[in-house]
Amino acid sequence: MNMIDIENLSFTYGGKVEALKNVSLCVKKGEWVTILGHNGSGKSTLAKLIVGLLKPQKGTIRVDGVELSERTVHDIRKKVGIVFQNPDNQFVGVTVRDDIAFGLENLRIPREEMIERIEHYAKRVDMYSYLNKEPQALSGGQKQRVAIAGILAMRTEVIIFDEATSMLDPDGRKRILSYMRKLRDDGVTVVTITHDMREAVQSDRIVVLKDGEILKADKSEDVLKDKETLEKSNLELLLPLEVLHGLEHKKSTNEEIKEFLWQLSLNG
Amino acid sequence: MNRIVIGRYIPGNSFLYRMDPRTKLIAMILLMVSVFLIQSFIHMLVALLLVALLLVFGGISVKRVYLGLRPLVFLLIFTFLFQVLFNRQGDLLYSLELHYTVLNLSIAMALVIMWGFTKRFLRFRLLYFLATVAGVFLLFHYLPFGIVLGEGTFSVYEQGLSTAFFIMVRLVIIITLSTILTITTKPTDLNLGLESILRPLRILRINAEEIAMIIAISLRYIPTLLDEANKIMLAQASRGVDFQEGKLKDKVIQVVSLLVPMFIISFQRSDDLANAMETRSFVPGQKRTRLHILHWSGLDTTALAFTCAALIGVILLRVVGW
Ligand SMILES: Nc1ncnc2c1ncn2[C@@H]1O[C@H](COP(=O)(O)OP(=O)(O)OP(=O)(O)O)[C@@H](O)[C@H]1O
Ligand SMILES: [Mg+2]
Repeated sequence: MNMIDIENLSFTYGGKVEALKNVSLCVKKGEWVTILGHNGSGKSTLAKLIVGLLKPQKGTIRVDGVELSERTVHDIRKKVGIVFQNPDNQFVGVTVRDDIAFGLENLRIPREEMIERIEHYAKRVDMYSYLNKEPQALSGGQKQRVAIAGILAMRTEVIIFDEATSMLDPDGRKRILSYMRKLRDDGVTVVTITHDMREAVQSDRIVVLKDGEILKADKSEDVLKDKETLEKSNLELLLPLEVLHGLEHKKSTNEEIKEFLWQLSLNG
Repeated sequence: MNRIVIGRYIPGNSFLYRMDPRTKLIAMILLMVSVFLIQSFIHMLVALLLVALLLVFGGISVKRVYLGLRPLVFLLIFTFLFQVLFNRQGDLLYSLELHYTVLNLSIAMALVIMWGFTKRFLRFRLLYFLATVAGVFLLFHYLPFGIVLGEGTFSVYEQGLSTAFFIMVRLVIIITLSTILTITTKPTDLNLGLESILRPLRILRINAEEIAMIIAISLRYIPTLLDEANKIMLAQASRGVDFQEGKLKDKVIQVVSLLVPMFIISFQRSDDLANAMETRSFVPGQKRTRLHILHWSGLDTTALAFTCAALIGVILLRVVGW
């Protein structure tokens, strides 16, 4: 059963910038899919189309079997949550508690249940002791965790992360990756959007976008090892895979390997 | 950037803190109306005394209230002087003959110039200003020598003095009351109270909840924007824009170099925020449940009864004509 079904989707900004060209893709229920692509490849455009912030000019989007349209968009938003890149620009409430409550208030969850959910999900992202804090008192990573708690509390069936870790330090990133893993274990469908290979590793499937087109969509392992495709879309192999790749093609001496690794680290 | 401390919420636990924000808002409005209806000198003093008692029993430091008043001290003094000098109704209470001569006019001018130069080095500028004004008047009275250019009188009339008194005390009471409100009420609660009070405006098709949401979001983003302004100023300063000194032209460049990026960033922000709100199922005008609810207690009923009594009392006094 497919959770998200996209067929022949095209989107052009202002009649000029072709952000997406004839994209077809599906995400199964409970699957974790990564959408990988360089800056400007159309990843955010795709995400905004799925949650109905933009209207497709061509093609269809189906969520849980329901076609996205003006009439169904509100119901679909109850099924699909999205966490955006900039933690500061999605903090709606005056305090952490208010912010987590925002979505629940909109869903008309009764107050007692709301309080329960807020506490439960604040604990889940380790922000329980910050419930009364104002956003100015939080770091970027903490604000992003609050945003995630706000979406988790809405108990949507799909959660999209649009570069949700790109403004965070390695520690913040690792934490959020661990939440993603937990979500997958809980059966939530996860779509992560990133250009960071390390974020793509743990997902089930990777879709590579380049200039608005799908270059490759396959099991994560296969995509991660595909140097040719990745290079075509300005992405880099993971460092260990790069090493592996480099070593596979020559029988080298210790000295040569050292030199190779040295060059590799110099090139970042 | 932390200069905006006037009327900020300060945690505490007096009865003022335990009151429902709706009560505080309504009571404040009723009391303000009462203060405007009072016409007798004695009653006004009683009102002032009651407000002072409210401060004492409400556990609010007078210093905080003074901080709230300070930006308005100049205005208060100006209105006072204006009324005293130009209101010529009622009995004449005091008059001082003034003679404008070449000699005392020159000395007066010198005094004013001296004041202008030295004021920045002194702590009690306001007192200094008042002393200078008084000095100029005394000069005109006590130094009538030299070529006389004109004559005049400085006279204080009963009406002028009493109007000045009433305006001053009313302003002080109003500002004190609103400072008490903002010091003892969290912005979120205040907003919630406002929303609740404005709800009947629905019949006029005014959506109180939306207004409250706008206020809440503005409150939430003011610190962020101040932070941003700070960052931009630092960035611009590192490129050589000097925000401290400069002529008018430089000032204009400074302001533009701050405002343009602020606007661009703010538009981006509001776009992102609208997206985040929309995807979290926010639909303007649609019914929502609320996390925060207000609790009305006996204290609120009592407080409101007292303020209503005060208002009715004042109206009665006025009707009776005491
Ligand atoms: N509001 C807009 N108006 C016009 N063009 C836009 C707009 N938003 C994006 N674009 C363009 O559409 C293309 C795809 O943008 P999109 O934001 O989807 O890329 P992305 O893959 O999310 O990139 P990034 O990694 O930088 O977030 C880009 O060429 C971009 O310049
Ligand atoms: Mg993007």
